[in-house]
Amino acid sequence: MIDLIGHIGSQSINVVREIGRMFLFMWEIIISLPVPPYRWTSFLKQVHFIGLRSLFVIALTAIFTGMVLALQGYYTLSRFGSEALLGPAVALSIIRELGPVLSGLMVTGRAGSALTAELGIMRIREQIDALEVMGIPPLKFLVTPRIEAGLLVVPLLTVLFDVIGIWGGYLVAVRLLGMSGGTYFGGIESSVEMHDIVTGLIKSCTFGLIVTWVCTYKGFFTRRGAEGVSHSTTSAVVLSSVLILVCDYFITSIML
Amino acid sequence: MPTTLPTDPAFDSPASQSAPLPLGQQLVANGCVTARQLDLALRRHQSTGGQDESAHLVGRTLVEMGCISQAELLGCLSRQFAQERDAYQVSSDIPPVIRLEQVVKILDGRRVLDAVDLAIPANRVTAIIGMSGGGKSVIMKHMVGLMKPDQGSVWVGEHSLGRISGRELTRVRGRFSLLFQGGALFDSLNVFDNVAFPLREKTRLSEIDIRARVMRCLEEVNLVGMERKFPDELSGGMMKRAALARALVTNPEILLLDEPTAGLDPIIENAIHYLICDTFMRTRYTMVVISHAVPEIFKWSHHVIVLHRGKVLFSGPSREVMASPDPVIRQFIRGDLDGPIQVI
Ligand SMILES: Nc1ncnc2c1ncn2[C@@H]1O[C@H](COP(=O)(O)OP(=O)(O)OP(=O)(O)O)[C@@H](O)[C@H]1O
Ligand SMILES: [Mg+2]
Repeated sequence: MIDLIGHIGSQSINVVREIGRMFLFMWEIIISLPVPPYRWTSFLKQVHFIGLRSLFVIALTAIFTGMVLALQGYYTLSRFGSEALLGPAVALSIIRELGPVLSGLMVTGRAGSALTAELGIMRIREQIDALEVMGIPPLKFLVTPRIEAGLLVVPLLTVLFDVIGIWGGYLVAVRLLGMSGGTYFGGIESSVEMHDIVTGLIKSCTFGLIVTWVCTYKGFFTRRGAEGVSHSTTSAVVLSSVLILVCDYFITSIML
Repeated sequence: MPTTLPTDPAFDSPASQSAPLPLGQQLVANGCVTARQLDLALRRHQSTGGQDESAHLVGRTLVEMGCISQAELLGCLSRQFAQERDAYQVSSDIPPVIRLEQVVKILDGRRVLDAVDLAIPANRVTAIIGMSGGGKSVIMKHMVGLMKPDQGSVWVGEHSLGRISGRELTRVRGRFSLLFQGGALFDSLNVFDNVAFPLREKTRLSEIDIRARVMRCLEEVNLVGMERKFPDELSGGMMKRAALARALVTNPEILLLDEPTAGLDPIIENAIHYLICDTFMRTRYTMVVISHAVPEIFKWSHHVIVLHRGKVLFSGPSREVMASPDPVIRQFIRGDLDGPIQVI
């Protein structure tokens, strides 16, 4: 019994310590932001890596999400005879909810895990130590460009997701189920407001930050060899996915 | 830019301390070349406009003129080095550049360093030897502040590493160059870019100058033709040599080499020892070499520090360690299974 309490206690202390270290990590990055030099090339490289190379997965996820939403929505709405609302239903769920969340999750799976593994390998092979000895701040050199790229790229990917998702819904609703295109898009135009789009963008910026922050943090503090790298990769993916969903709830409840 | 590496040629031959003769005159004094040959070489060297790192190029010009072969030149330098080594005394005239005072480091509940006191003499080659897992690499990481001691302090010059941070720490680290045991080459860069990396990041040299310097360093470690290869395409020995080139390229004041010859064939091992000696004779850097190449390493160092069970067992001139009556040192040098250290 005492053992159990002790175990719970030490686990809680570990969790609190980990959270503290994560915020310190972020703080160090923030205070190093105004310090030159700015590393445009590594920033662009990361934009390429996180963004461009996620395009295909995002497009694929988006089109099928839109299609299935339209299918399900049509089936449900037709029970109440309100098929005309299909356009707004698809668009609002994608713009407000599924676009940011699924883009965030896809980026975590495709780019986040790779970020963690890359930094983790640099850590265990002492490359990060080597940077430090050369007098090059490793956070500024390795982590900052990745977080900046995440902040830029995830919202852009989300916008793309929204467009493709709505178009996927159109494919099913209009081409497959024979709705009129005018009803589908007209409904979207009259019901989607700026507020919805802003909510989606705020979410996607937050998720971009979460993914790159968690994944670089876990990679940067990897320990104990190859096993450590696989451990930090797994925990980075799990933690950022969970944080995305939790933050999603809170942002929604605040912005509603 | 917070600091710049010493690219000033004055750093290449610190005239301070005991002020050794310029390389050319050493060669003459040693009877390797005649004064006339040296004179010709110097004149020829100046006519080609060379000034930077002249010491190195004088040697090369002599080789190019056919006065002396490369192997003879290296042999000559090593003879010169041997004389200095045999005359070396531990004395208060040689200020320590790095000092560890009562350093205790506990890693995973084990006292890896147990009140270590040591001093690295300036402008000399110091070898650190000891059992595998004895904490040699840990000591090296303390010297540049990558690890912090649990107790005690580490001094570099007049700075205590525990008390400085930020810009000052960066400046102190700028005096160092490190060869990590595993090489620590950047996986995403090829050999050329790896070696050029510290120059590109920390100096304002033009790309042409960088290219020249990098190629010369690669030539010294015999890696010409491998510039475009990536670290994962190199053999272990090549990786070591590329990392050594990266450590040498910045003209540091203090060079820390963690097992520069481990995992190399005997010929390359010997060549690396000559390279270290050659670099030392040209530049007079303070060098710390962690090595398992016992007893060869005694030939190539002024000062030897033996580490055992987290303590310094011996620290003194290398000729004395060979004669030491200590049973642990004797066993270590001979590699006996029988003795105070029980491994099986
Ligand atoms: N980062 C670390 N975390 C925990 N323990 C460590 C760490 N680094 C080294 N150790 C431990 O410290 C001890 C000394 O390690 P060190 O790498 O200094 O040995 P070494 O003398 O360099 O050995 P070798 O000659 O094999 O390179 C080892 O027992 C090692 O397990
Ligand atoms: Mg070691």
